[in-house]
Amino acid sequence: MTEHLVDVIGYQPIQQAILACVLCGVSCSLLSVFVVLMKMPLIGVSMSHAAFAGAVLGMLLGVNPVLSGFIMCLLAAGVLGPLSDRTDMAPENVLGIMFSFLMGLAFLGMGILTRTKANALNLMWGSLLSLSGVDIAMLTFVTLLLALFVLFFFKEIRLVLLSRRLARASGVPERIIYYSLLFLTGAVVSSNLTTVGGLLIFALLVQPGATALQLTYNLKHFFIISAASGVGACLLGLIVSYVLDLPSGAAVVLMATAIFAAAYIFSPKRNAARPKNMERIS
Amino acid sequence: MDSYIIELEGITVRKGRDLLLDSIGLGVSRNEFVGVIGPNGAGKTTLLNVIAGFEKFTGRLSLFGRHESWKRDRKTRLRVGYVPQLLYVDPAFPILASEAVMTGSIGRLGLFRSPGRQEREKTMQIMEMMRMAHLAKRPLGQLSGGERQKVSLARAILQKPDILLMDEPTANLDIAVQKEVLDLISEIHKREDLTLLFVTHDFNMLPASMHRAVLLDHGRTIFDGDIDAAMSGETLSRLFQYPLETFDRNGKRFVSYD
Repeated sequence: MTEHLVDVIGYQPIQQAILACVLCGVSCSLLSVFVVLMKMPLIGVSMSHAAFAGAVLGMLLGVNPVLSGFIMCLLAAGVLGPLSDRTDMAPENVLGIMFSFLMGLAFLGMGILTRTKANALNLMWGSLLSLSGVDIAMLTFVTLLLALFVLFFFKEIRLVLLSRRLARASGVPERIIYYSLLFLTGAVVSSNLTTVGGLLIFALLVQPGATALQLTYNLKHFFIISAASGVGACLLGLIVSYVLDLPSGAAVVLMATAIFAAAYIFSPKRNAARPKNMERIS
Repeated sequence: MDSYIIELEGITVRKGRDLLLDSIGLGVSRNEFVGVIGPNGAGKTTLLNVIAGFEKFTGRLSLFGRHESWKRDRKTRLRVGYVPQLLYVDPAFPILASEAVMTGSIGRLGLFRSPGRQEREKTMQIMEMMRMAHLAKRPLGQLSGGERQKVSLARAILQKPDILLMDEPTANLDIAVQKEVLDLISEIHKREDLTLLFVTHDFNMLPASMHRAVLLDHGRTIFDGDIDAAMSGETLSRLFQYPLETFDRNGKRFVSYD
């Protein structure tokens, strides 16, 4: 069995899938730190629907669907920030409205689209095993961009995550940081439509961050644990799906959930933070 | 008097049909400690937000003798510190108390420079001065309300501002802790060369060194002057639309109600 696996790793498409796995894991889980700490889990769903609507629109117009999905995501990100800032609406509510609007748009497009529905549906599931060179290149670029952003603006990010208002009062360009984050979310989601797909990316944008939340009070470690659990879920999921011949996306998400469950059960934070009188009662 | 450090003229803020501030004028000199007092919805926080640069407004606002809008450069922002109302922090949020205090230094550092030994030392100095060094390694979200407010105060001081704005910093704290935070604020006012603006609706819980009161009602200034003069039963009853009386005890004036 292991020999067989080692043989398999020699194949170029498999190597490419492994690389995509790592990139997908890193990009989604770095982003999940923001999603979890800013408490905006809906952003993943909303962005993937923007990407999906964009892709369907692209197919209708005869444009590369990945490109049009990417553009639609950036547009959604560009609308989301100012809209929630200007209308005094909670970002979650703005997301909820955008989410349903974009879903409607996507389904409208699907209804008009007669010939190539299957292509559009592929973007719902994604496939780690059939990626093009362009897909990988775009994913690499976006992942690098996100990693550099976290690295260079770490101290600003920490304060923006704690409170945007305090960040502004301290002379930090919090708007630029926050809006960049929204744009990066759009970029990460749309470039991962081809890997795990629009439906399952939601899981990878929440689970790794939620896993790290169980384990550390150190923001640096938070990013590292999140990335490790995201990459771990992607790689283990890929192996399991290959060995047992299961759909790869499903395997990845279930693996991420299993990792989160383990972190939750063994969480030193949760166990330490339990109120003392609770222990006395039980 | 051309030496006002904060000067407002005809400051008006509208939200939709509501007039939150109605042509407010105010001049604050350096090193003054001003209380902005009024009932809920009087516009106290809005006034503070205008000075802090969080809120759009019409009218003229000068800080340090320069006209400012709600958008401003980093240098001006650094000179205006801000202490919010008790901030909710998730108990699991990954930031320690000392790291939270140190965020007060990052605006001054600017982009692409991380806090170094100097910032860490200053952070510990301020935390020791505020008698909270023992909290340094505790997660922020697990501190009590009073401890979290002291962290907020410490981070604002680390920014080394000339003006410090405080928005009901003692709201939702119990009495002993309110007293502790208020004493700390008075202590800071004496030691640092700071101009303080303190928003509150609780006139029995004012810092000892506050000497001037601005009373706001429905977005208008109804009184501006010495704090003891402000604390008259007649003025306060009118402001809060509730019969209030004042009495003096141990050299301090208190407000009572039925």
